[in-house]
Amino acid sequence: MRRKLVLAASLSLVALGMQAQEVAFEEYDLENGLHVILHQDNSAPLVTTAVMYHVGAKDEDPEKTGFAHFFEHLLFEGTENIERGKWFEIVASNGGQNNANTTQDRTYYYEVFPSNNLELGLWLESERMLHPIINKIGVDTQKEVVQEEKRRSYDNAPYGRWREVMSKNLFKNHPYRWQTIGSLEHLASATLEDFKKFNKMYYVPNNASLVVAGDFEMSATKKMIQDYFGSIPKGDAIKRETFKEEPITQTIKAEFRDPNIQIPLIMLGYRTPEQTNREAYVLDMVSTILSDGKSSRLYKKIVDEKKMALQVFAFNGSQEDYGTYIVGGLPVGENTLEAIQKEIDEEIVKLQTELISENEFQKLQNIFENNFVNSNASVEGIANSLVRNYMLYDDTNLINTEIDIYRSITREEIKAVAKKYLNPNQRVVLEYLPEEKPAN
Amino acid sequence: MKNIYITLVFALFAMASNAQIDRSVMPKAGPAPEINLKEPQRFELKNGLKVLVVENHKLPRVSIQLRIDNPPVAEGDKAGVSAFVSSLLGNGSKTISKDDFNQEVDFLGASINFGSQSAFASSLSKYFPRIIELMADAAIHPNFTQEEFDKEKEKILTGIKSEENDVASIANKAQTALAYGKNHPYGEFSTAESINNINLTDVQKFYSNYFVPANAYLIIIGDVNVKEVEKLVKKNFTAWTKATPPSFQFSKPSDVQYTQINFVDVPNAVQSEIAVESLVDLKMSDPDYFPALITNQILGGGGEGRLFLNLREDKGYTYGSYSSLGNDKYAPARFRATAQVRNAVTDSSIVEILKEIDKIKTQPVTEKDLANTKAKYIGRFIMALERPETIAGYALNIETEGLPKDYYKTYLERINAVTVADVQKAANKYFTTANARIVVAGKGSEVLENLEKVTFNGKTIPVKYYDKKINSTEKPDYNAALPQGVSAQTVIDNYFEAIGGKDKVNAITSLILVYEGSAMGSKIKTEEKRTADKYAMTMYMNDAPMQGVIAKGDELYMKQGGNKMPLPENMVADMKNALGIFPEQTFMATGKAKLVGIEDVNGVKAYKIDVPGEVVSASYFYAVETGLKVKEVSTTSMNGQTQAQESELSDYQEIEGIKFPGTKSASLGPQKMESKLISATVNKGITDADFE
Repeated sequence: MRRKLVLAASLSLVALGMQAQEVAFEEYDLENGLHVILHQDNSAPLVTTAVMYHVGAKDEDPEKTGFAHFFEHLLFEGTENIERGKWFEIVASNGGQNNANTTQDRTYYYEVFPSNNLELGLWLESERMLHPIINKIGVDTQKEVVQEEKRRSYDNAPYGRWREVMSKNLFKNHPYRWQTIGSLEHLASATLEDFKKFNKMYYVPNNASLVVAGDFEMSATKKMIQDYFGSIPKGDAIKRETFKEEPITQTIKAEFRDPNIQIPLIMLGYRTPEQTNREAYVLDMVSTILSDGKSSRLYKKIVDEKKMALQVFAFNGSQEDYGTYIVGGLPVGENTLEAIQKEIDEEIVKLQTELISENEFQKLQNIFENNFVNSNASVEGIANSLVRNYMLYDDTNLINTEIDIYRSITREEIKAVAKKYLNPNQRVVLEYLPEEKPAN
Repeated sequence: MKNIYITLVFALFAMASNAQIDRSVMPKAGPAPEINLKEPQRFELKNGLKVLVVENHKLPRVSIQLRIDNPPVAEGDKAGVSAFVSSLLGNGSKTISKDDFNQEVDFLGASINFGSQSAFASSLSKYFPRIIELMADAAIHPNFTQEEFDKEKEKILTGIKSEENDVASIANKAQTALAYGKNHPYGEFSTAESINNINLTDVQKFYSNYFVPANAYLIIIGDVNVKEVEKLVKKNFTAWTKATPPSFQFSKPSDVQYTQINFVDVPNAVQSEIAVESLVDLKMSDPDYFPALITNQILGGGGEGRLFLNLREDKGYTYGSYSSLGNDKYAPARFRATAQVRNAVTDSSIVEILKEIDKIKTQPVTEKDLANTKAKYIGRFIMALERPETIAGYALNIETEGLPKDYYKTYLERINAVTVADVQKAANKYFTTANARIVVAGKGSEVLENLEKVTFNGKTIPVKYYDKKINSTEKPDYNAALPQGVSAQTVIDNYFEAIGGKDKVNAITSLILVYEGSAMGSKIKTEEKRTADKYAMTMYMNDAPMQGVIAKGDELYMKQGGNKMPLPENMVADMKNALGIFPEQTFMATGKAKLVGIEDVNGVKAYKIDVPGEVVSASYFYAVETGLKVKEVSTTSMNGQTQAQESELSDYQEIEGIKFPGTKSASLGPQKMESKLISATVNKGITDADFE
């Protein structure tokens, strides 16, 4: 058993009650390697069944990108026991909801049902893991769906391609350099065999984690999990490559022309440490100071007072191997991108040289605490956090302790981390511009 | 301990692996789950405040809800006073200023809101003692000031004014006032007169009469400890003076003797609001409450309901049609089947709604319909249970509606127990097509002719008329005599005369008009370039071009950045009517224009000329006295939705011998924008490139 058991019986819960939140859970492995996490909460009779597979865009062959996201679609096509096209109907006519999503690091499939349909949820997910149908009609159908999605969400969407351009410039070696949607050419030329191979390699119990959260009975549920998932054959061990990037030491200038926009955009991108690193948490706080809410520093100065920008933003995109920290804005009228950049830089320098005030610090703590509490308001949200923490942070209990990390961050650390990572020579400066001549 | 546990787990697996399942068969749902709602703990203060506490330590947050369950209050000639109370509460207290109060709540990341007889707060549990203190202080020692009262009055009066021509709010008023009578608490509504009748003392009085603890419930849910709650509630709410609200008698409303249409004329309406309504005596404690809920769900509950499937999916009359069934322990509640439909199908929509009501009364629903409806209903009910507000609401309902303690715990079983026969019985008890009011608010000149011909089950349905204040009135007369000799041609001739004379108008070969206004904090500039056969409009937000429209020859498209989006063909045909240096030159030439009557535009009598189209129809209004154009309306109907864009024109200014409107007040739904003329450029500055 890879991890220690976390047992928080409901009795001890009451005692702990007054001391922040405690999300109780149990976890164990099946013999085929499937990791199981159970979170019981009988306060509402609904149950989430979800499976996270440790496969994302970064696990793809550079010549065959877009596969993980493609599977997010393909694995709803049907199984040996679920007729093609029936998946959504089964879910809806049983009072449920379902969805799936893909990132660079993992893919997540889930259903929420009234709790008397727990077995149905387990059956659906076990069917998907055991014997999905991967055939020509399903692949052809989903190829079209994904092409449409790429056109709608990326190619025709205003500012839809900034991430693609930024990633290409921030990462030279690491698969983070391409996007989850991948390349339509790669998908078009991929064969049925390619998809079957990818499925056999990654969509196996030893690369997945099942989470059941909500209203259920413990021992009966464990038995059902064993019944439905225990017999799924273990896959081959997965060999993962590690990719290292050389530090950025000189500003990388990039430019992109987007025919869908009128107002240019300036974006400063920094490569930051992996998400499990304490400094990644500090950078979350930095982005909140800079741009979260109307009293945040960048918003207040550049949008509210000087009225130079329509919008400013700062966010820390945390990921398994490296993070991406982005700051930027859209100018108003005649203001130039350089002018916006100068204002942003001034605020960053201020963070690097002056401690934030005690009052701002306290408000920051309140914001993080509120976010933290509300992120665990729904059982589906808890299921997602538990399995993500297990798979990508190697610490399921982080759901209860993450806030302690934020709480322990000091004003001095905020200053130090800003100084360590947010320097002009460590970044990509992306000018994201309208097309020079409108296409007539 | 850990090792023992692990052994147990393995033992379980060993047992489990012998189990047989047949995965080729979809698992059946288990028995309806019991709802494990926590039993609230209760205590009561000496002043009568009843407190319910649900401890839930899963998340370190708390919600506090205060609800005063008083019988309905008739506000009479001061209708609207409760609205003042709800907005003036929560502005600090006698000892904390409004700004300090708001700032502190923000800093703590919490929220506190008030109604006229309720309050709600939420916060992290560690700030609970402070938040309950602030909430109690604001509730018990409100900071009612003349300054805030005046501000609020201004807002409420503006609100009433902006609703004067709003079809939805007129329809709403008509539906309640007709169902209950204007003197019933559920039927009364505020008017400018009733608002002007109210002063700060009335607000104070309403507050002292009704914001009292006799029927008050405080529900606290979350990461708290009952003992601590009791201490804090006593500390903060003991100062609330014991009192019982004054009681009222009001007449019992009844349904109409026979089904009838009650029509309110709203000349600017582009859609009709239809409600088929009747009164129902339904309480949550009634044995057939659940069958009634399911029956309504099948008829009109959302996108799978029969009304939606018929009126939207099948007929395309509307964007949505739904029904609702209320419940009330103090007075009759209402059954309503509603739809917003385009003018031309008002009569047909009424017939379809009546047909659906009749059908569910006379034909049993299918088992499949019933099963799917239950599944969806249950799914939704269960998803809602996750929210603390839902739990609070349920605890309160059990207290106030006289429900058994296990009401919500057995909710799903009760839903599942509903049979096909129960549905039909409930439909017959609660829905009627024989004693229904069909309240229609719409444009009489376009819908009345057909409305008077509506028949159902072989009988013509009589129409009664009401004005916007919901007083009985005569049938409107749309043939208000146009003076002899007036035609569309004379109106347009007068207009050209008024703006500078036909010769000057005809001498214009190109025109650039620039208007500027502001909306949502941004500067909005529109630039129109016109020639006899070409048109280009660009809209700028804070000087950056956002989007545009270009028309030349048979091309008409919207432009956003480098993207050109062609408009649908039938729309292009309609929009061509508005091209030309002046649209009047074009629509008079095509012969599409019709003089339809005289209407009132902001107190000015104006000739109205309609230019009908398949998708886009336009109306133009010219003042009878001055000849000048005072208003333009363009109405677009697509995919069951209809939108009208209005522009009022005033403050004409002369530039190069031609008068142009100096001010344009445009409105689209509730949004309004006033723009000023920046420049008018005649016969220069336009090249072909402007229309690329």
